[in-house]
Amino acid sequence: MNATATNPAVLRATNVRKTYQLGRLRVPVLRGVNIDVARGEFVAILGASGSGKSTLLHLLGGLDAADKASAATGPAAIEFEGTDLIRLSAGRLDEYRRRRVGFVFQFYHLLPELTVLQNVTIAAMTAMGKLEYWSKRREVRAEASSLLERVGLGHRLLHRPAELSGGERQRVAIARALVNKPDLLLADEPTGNLDRVTGASILDLFTDLHTSGQTMVVVTHDEATAARADRVVRLVDGAVQSDR
Amino acid sequence: MYQFLLTHRYLTSKVMPLLAALAVALCTAMVIIVWSVMGGFLVMLINSGRTLVGDVTVSWPITGFAHYEELIKRLEADPDVAAATPTIETYGLIGLPDGRTETVMIKGVDGPSYTLVTDFADTLYWKPIDTPHPKDVHKDDPRLSNHTLWKFAFEGGKRLVRFEKPERGNVAVEKPGVVLGVSVSGFNIRERWGFYPGQARARQPDGTLKMVPTILPVDGNVTINVLPMDSKGRAVDMVARSFPVANEFHSGLYEIDHKTVFLQLGALQEMLKMNRAQKVSTTSAVTVNERGEESFTAPTVLGEDPARVTNVLVRGKTQSFESAAADRLADKVAAIYRQFAKDFEGQVPPSTSIRILTWEDQNRTMINAVRKETALVLFIFSFVSMTAVFLVLAIFWAMVSEKTKDIGILRAIGASRAGVAGTWLLYGAAIGLLGAVVGFGIAYGVVTNINAIHEWLGEKLGLYIWDPKIYYFSRIPSDLNARHVAIVLAGGVLASCVGALWPALRAARMSPVRALRFE
Repeated sequence: MNATATNPAVLRATNVRKTYQLGRLRVPVLRGVNIDVARGEFVAILGASGSGKSTLLHLLGGLDAADKASAATGPAAIEFEGTDLIRLSAGRLDEYRRRRVGFVFQFYHLLPELTVLQNVTIAAMTAMGKLEYWSKRREVRAEASSLLERVGLGHRLLHRPAELSGGERQRVAIARALVNKPDLLLADEPTGNLDRVTGASILDLFTDLHTSGQTMVVVTHDEATAARADRVVRLVDGAVQSDR
Repeated sequence: MYQFLLTHRYLTSKVMPLLAALAVALCTAMVIIVWSVMGGFLVMLINSGRTLVGDVTVSWPITGFAHYEELIKRLEADPDVAAATPTIETYGLIGLPDGRTETVMIKGVDGPSYTLVTDFADTLYWKPIDTPHPKDVHKDDPRLSNHTLWKFAFEGGKRLVRFEKPERGNVAVEKPGVVLGVSVSGFNIRERWGFYPGQARARQPDGTLKMVPTILPVDGNVTINVLPMDSKGRAVDMVARSFPVANEFHSGLYEIDHKTVFLQLGALQEMLKMNRAQKVSTTSAVTVNERGEESFTAPTVLGEDPARVTNVLVRGKTQSFESAAADRLADKVAAIYRQFAKDFEGQVPPSTSIRILTWEDQNRTMINAVRKETALVLFIFSFVSMTAVFLVLAIFWAMVSEKTKDIGILRAIGASRAGVAGTWLLYGAAIGLLGAVVGFGIAYGVVTNINAIHEWLGEKLGLYIWDPKIYYFSRIPSDLNARHVAIVLAGGVLASCVGALWPALRAARMSPVRALRFE
């Protein structure tokens, strides 16, 4: 399903730049990237290691700040439903990450002390106030259990991440990313740490999510993973080489 | 909400923070124990200092004041006054059985009313007891046996008389006696087991040492020397009189027990010429009649000089350690005295000059000294306890480093900087609370068993920190005050939070991307 033609862009990045300062050295990682993501679209950002794809994903997810616009570089913006993330306050960016975006990382990034179920519900906790969570805790747990059931981990709710395989951990991470019903799912090399079979099962899960209407941006260096997407944006040395 | 979940999880799955909790626990316990013992020491001193002075004292030293019976009558008519008693305080010399002479404070008291106003009877040492001192495991205290002797000594002590065997018949003869502070004679050396043995090693003429009885109430006599003053405060000739020792008292304050002697009020009034006396004209004459016979014209009796005392002690109906209660009673006594002075104008000291003192006023120097000492010791120990802050800081710093990736994850799922800082502060507070509660448990165990622990240390290691031979109180005092405990516990939690603050701010300031990439 290609949503670009039918839906307006939910996320639009215009002339996005990111430069890291390493001591006295300025290292430009992104050099004016433009990208649109329509609602319900599955976009893959494909690039070699060091091409800036993970940095772009962090900027799109509000985890990191893009360079401010200057006279030399021209205007820049990362607009989510018309709101420019570059100009958002830290508090509004936190709110954006809490309610509008879900992250899936290559190394799962689960909290080792928590159970599978708690790793999912903790994302809901950050999105709710204490009283709100306390009043809705049963619904939240039911929703988290249902999501874990959906990703095939209904029988592992009380296990710790250390007791799970890599594929299972990634499924927990996906459930955590989805528990707040985000508008946008951002995944950074979601199969990069998995064997081919397990990776394929995770991609199947992404395909299912996309089929159910989830907007997704997946960063990968793997052509096979990118092939599952509606659209593939190739990133080379911090600039978009192709977008089709 | 996630802050509580993570705090709970970190608290139950990590050993390192428990070390921080242990540091808080030890510091909390240390401060509570020190405060309880020093507080107990202060309470014991206040109790002891208050034992023999009542709640409020009306005082006109040296010359004393007259019509005190009327003042006492008026005071006792007040609904807030339980009882009042007259006393005389003067300095004098005491000649002891071994030939020594010491300077002492001599108090003339009316036994029956004095025991109503003060706890004098409770302080009498030589009396029959049934339960030995906790340290007296061998029951060597002489007061445990020969109860008849001690009963006589106790009854005699209360009335300041000694009962002696009559030359004829069976009825004991009462002789006016003195009650000495237990340390006045110098014969009473307390055993480590917390009692006075009633005998001491004495060198005999042949050079040998022999245990001799030292209980003065049995057959000891002392000589009291006082310098009387007339009503104008002029010294009259020194008066000396011998008295048998009726009993000895133990108030718990060395300064009092070492330098105070009680005597019957009447006897002391007589010696100081403060008793009731006829006032006569100084002109007498010898006349010779016409037959050459001499006749003597006696001095004219002009009136009567009433008896005088230097103090009237007052006991309130409600017994309270609050300064305000004694102050209220002092105000009432002052009002009664004002009217009394008005009615006896020119015969008693004016109300503007009379000294009306509460028990706290009279012991202020000693109480303030101990209060200051307590504050100083607490300050030092609290300062030492600040090490807990740095220990928590070091442990939390290490933990924040260890948990950098978790911090990145929390930020990625939307936790704010304040939320992340709050997680670590809450964790610090939980560590502090756990440490404070454990510390209180340790302190409670130590304070409530401090004497047993001390005994055990003495028996097993020969370590007697609080030796009753040296310290005046035979037991280590303690007072576990709820308000003090609450302050220390809150301090423990606060110290832990302060220690966690810097690491918490560091965690909050972390870049989420860098935190996620942390290896």
